[in-house]
Amino acid sequence: MNIPLTALALTTALASPALARPVTMTTNMAQYGGDGAYLALYVTDAQGAYQGSLWMAGDKSKYYEHLSDWYRATAGDAAQIDGITGASVGAGQQLTITLDLADALFDAGYSLHIDAGVEDMRNSPSEIVVPLTSSGAGQPVQGARYVRDFTYDL
Amino acid sequence: MQNYIGISALLIGLGMAGMALADDDDCRVPMANWQPREAVQKMAEAQGWTVRRIKTDDGCYEIIGRDASGREIEAKVDPATLAIVEFEYDDDDDRGRKAAPSSSTTPPANGLFTPGTKPVVK
Repeated sequence: MNIPLTALALTTALASPALARPVTMTTNMAQYGGDGAYLALYVTDAQGAYQGSLWMAGDKSKYYEHLSDWYRATAGDAAQIDGITGASVGAGQQLTITLDLADALFDAGYSLHIDAGVEDMRNSPSEIVVPLTSSGAGQPVQGARYVRDFTYDL
Repeated sequence: MQNYIGISALLIGLGMAGMALADDDDCRVPMANWQPREAVQKMAEAQGWTVRRIKTDDGCYEIIGRDASGREIEAKVDPATLAIVEFEYDDDDDRGRKAAPSSSTTPPANGLFTPGTKPVVK
């Protein structure tokens, strides 16, 4: 299991505050004509292995299985999202998250994923998959179904 | 012999897939036998429920609303007999693990965040 080792390595790297940077993630939702969307934002490594979650929009755990890639990776483990959970995001709304993210995640093969789910509508796992790179900052990425676009700014 | 085993395994596999799809809380009622939504509404009101929405799910009617005490409910109802197939309080799953607001807990130590920092969300 390489997740704890990776987490340990990243945690060690984060011992110095200089090795993290504030990152603002902006998710603009499309007008998909449904209830508020559940969104899971999480990171995978170059091999696609789950590394950890950054945010969960939507607080009812019974719906998390519809965020199917995230759920498959975590088995719905609540500890993955304790303290980083908020409200679901309505159609046409914007979710902006600013967090101190490890420098080690950039230009090292890591990707940010967004799984999306809406009640009575189709699941949309990995609706957004965007490599975390310095050059990709500020470049909007289009979503497939519920997310109009997603941008991260350094 | 090998073919026989292979076909048997395939049939068993298909049978298991069929069983996995056939949930106990599904309803299998021909459309001709379905009662109208108004009947579902009346049945819910007779239970003392306030109906927010009636929809269909897994071949059943599903009532979303509140019970007489104001708790949010979801009830699956057989479309022909209006018998309750499944009933749950909408807040059941969150008891014991109510996801904390971001302002009251620190993020998990997953190595992605600077320890002790909290995401700022707008």
